[in-house]
Amino acid sequence: MPNKVTIWKLRNKNPLRKSYMNNNIKLEEFDALIKITVEMSRYLYPYTKKILQSKEEPEKDGFIWSDFNMRFVELVNERFNMNSIRVKKLINQPENDEILIKSLLALSLCISNQGYQKLRNFLLNF
Amino acid sequence: MQNRLLFHQSSVSLEIIGLPDYSNNENKDQISIISQWKLTIIDKPLIEGKIEHLRPIMDAFYNYSNLLINNEIPIFQSKLIDIKADNIYIHNITLKSSKPDVKPLIIKIGNSLLSDTINCFDQLNESPKVRIKESVLTNIIPKKVKFGLSKKVKLSNFFLPPLLAISSLILFSYTFINFYNPVEDKEKNVIINTK
Repeated sequence: MPNKVTIWKLRNKNPLRKSYMNNNIKLEEFDALIKITVEMSRYLYPYTKKILQSKEEPEKDGFIWSDFNMRFVELVNERFNMNSIRVKKLINQPENDEILIKSLLALSLCISNQGYQKLRNFLLNF
Repeated sequence: MQNRLLFHQSSVSLEIIGLPDYSNNENKDQISIISQWKLTIIDKPLIEGKIEHLRPIMDAFYNYSNLLINNEIPIFQSKLIDIKADNIYIHNITLKSSKPDVKPLIIKIGNSLLSDTINCFDQLNESPKVRIKESVLTNIIPKKVKFGLSKKVKLSNFFLPPLLAISSLILFSYTFINFYNPVEDKEKNVIINTK
């Protein structure tokens, strides 16, 4: 990743987005994105943990989960192609809980030095 | 004097007590002969055991989390530990004692504590100061689980279908060439026209 603009451009290779370039992501770009994601998940671990915890104890911190979910749905509505069935699955209430929990859990398990390899394996098995 | 090492991740801490293997000329702060370990999860009973229990318990957590994330049935069962999901956020851990009269210890943990525990195990695995021998139990993963873990992408699955398609196309077109030869047909037409 030579600069931030390259990362920004890579977003358009996501087929779920509204403005989607029909270009497949290269293996080096895929690996680079995983490395960035692992670094970010390491940095955001306390927040990720808090969000997961709030879902387990809704009577205590339930608002954290609902805020997170609301913001997630807002962003998906704003940027993703809402005609796609896969995108609809992301924001449909009963289904999206499971997708979000599993994604957050996967991120929180990848904060060690071997996190890159772990996340890569999770994604390749997905 | 025994060495103590503490691995800590938010609400979970793992303590390893043991000695260095002096016969291998190891440093005095190294631990290779583990005499005791303790896994402390906040608000939950203390989990401790012998060295031969540590690796199976770690493997159980790793296998279970893999099953959970890869959308397979999240159940892990062994002689020592069972882990199964109550629902998507609560996990039931049953620790079975090797002593006959001791009842199994049941602990319920959420995803946040599960990730803390696995991160503690990751720290232990990556620590250069501790060496743990591989246990025998890693080979006794239930068949269903083993299948899921050893799922490999076969290259032949990618190349075989197009290869078959191309070869069958060539085979079919070759047989049709024998039925109808356009060159011969053109020559015949030319002969008829000259007549």
